[in-house]
Amino acid sequence: MNPQEYILSGIVESYVLGLASPEDSAEFERMCDAHHEVRAARNAFELQVEQSLIHQKLEPPRVLKSRIFSEIGMEKDKQPPGIIANTPALIPRKGFARYVAAASLIMLLGSVLLNLYLLDQYKKSIAQYKELIATQTQIAGANQVMQTKLETYENALGLMKNPKMAIVKMPGMPASPAPSSMATVYWNTESKEVYLLVNQLPMPVPDKQYQLWAIVNGHPVDVGIFDMDKNFSFIKLKTIPKAEAFAITLEKKGGSTTPTMDAMYVMGKVTG
Amino acid sequence: MALKSRDDQAFSYLYDHYSGSLYSIILQIVKSPEIAGDVLQEVFINIWRKIESYDPLRGRLFTWMLNISRNASIDMLRSKGYINNQKNQEITDNVYGSDQVTQTNIDGIGLTKFLEKLKPEQRVLIELAYLKGYTHEEIAQIEDIPLGTVKTRIRNALLQLRVYLK
Repeated sequence: MNPQEYILSGIVESYVLGLASPEDSAEFERMCDAHHEVRAARNAFELQVEQSLIHQKLEPPRVLKSRIFSEIGMEKDKQPPGIIANTPALIPRKGFARYVAAASLIMLLGSVLLNLYLLDQYKKSIAQYKELIATQTQIAGANQVMQTKLETYENALGLMKNPKMAIVKMPGMPASPAPSSMATVYWNTESKEVYLLVNQLPMPVPDKQYQLWAIVNGHPVDVGIFDMDKNFSFIKLKTIPKAEAFAITLEKKGGSTTPTMDAMYVMGKVTG
Repeated sequence: MALKSRDDQAFSYLYDHYSGSLYSIILQIVKSPEIAGDVLQEVFINIWRKIESYDPLRGRLFTWMLNISRNASIDMLRSKGYINNQKNQEITDNVYGSDQVTQTNIDGIGLTKFLEKLKPEQRVLIELAYLKGYTHEEIAQIEDIPLGTVKTRIRNALLQLRVYLK
């Protein structure tokens, strides 16, 4: 049935006058929601009824109004004072407002739980962040150490690769306190700079230091004292313009002016 | 809406504006002015109590109040007190033979005027349905006519009502 036929079926009049069965009324309300023309027909008929009845009135007994209002007044007195003041906000919650109130409470509860959850997450994140910062500092420190080591090695490699470098191997002397000792002098033939690489030397006692000597025209010339605390690295010592050989002796701390011959550990001749 | 917040002034306006129309409908159903007054009082107290359940989407306020009035009147018709009262009334009427007293009051008013324009077989059915509150099935039984006929006649009468009201 299309809306027009439906309107002419008499349902509009039955519904408005309260004659329709509950099923027909429910159906009519659905049709009203779905079709504006049904709604319009209902409204038109309602207006017709209202206008015809409004002019055909019989005055009810005069006392009735005051009776009704006094009864209403008594009902009002039973209610909390806030209601009488006609403050809509204080009227007991009904229908939709009740749902809104319930929904608000649920949302508030949800919000509280969410906040607790977020606070917990926040605390966890802070802890993780601090951990990360610590790790990062550690890594940066390690990186710096690596960097320094790498630089040292690169320098060493550079020295070894330098084609102008004369290499003087100094093996242990038969009469040396440690015959298996070994050290190497890298001598730049151009700039005459002397670098010492300790291959193997026993650790000196605390009040002694090793000293490198250059043998120039048969005489020992001091090239410098060095410590053993650096692992695998070239120790830059004094510049020597000319030498026939190099040797290392163990001297008193701070070095000596002449080498102690019986404490000579290694010696090597400059070749070529 | 002022009425929904139970504003005294708004309610007073409502009473002044509509009580006459509602009273006339109630009177056409319950016949007795005294009982109609009681019903009207009950109706307005109900309107005041239930105003929050009024849904503007489902119809006009007057329609809502009209249906409350009709339902309250029919409830009154079926109440024990009313039935006993009517019995006494009939006895009194029979004794004194004065059936017209209440009847004349509502002649020529609203529905009654409309009912006069209907064919007799339609009028009976509308009276039973609207003024007495019987269902179509009950009317079919009372009048001993098929349910389909009851429905058709009532439908035609209602469609005529629309034309009449224009």
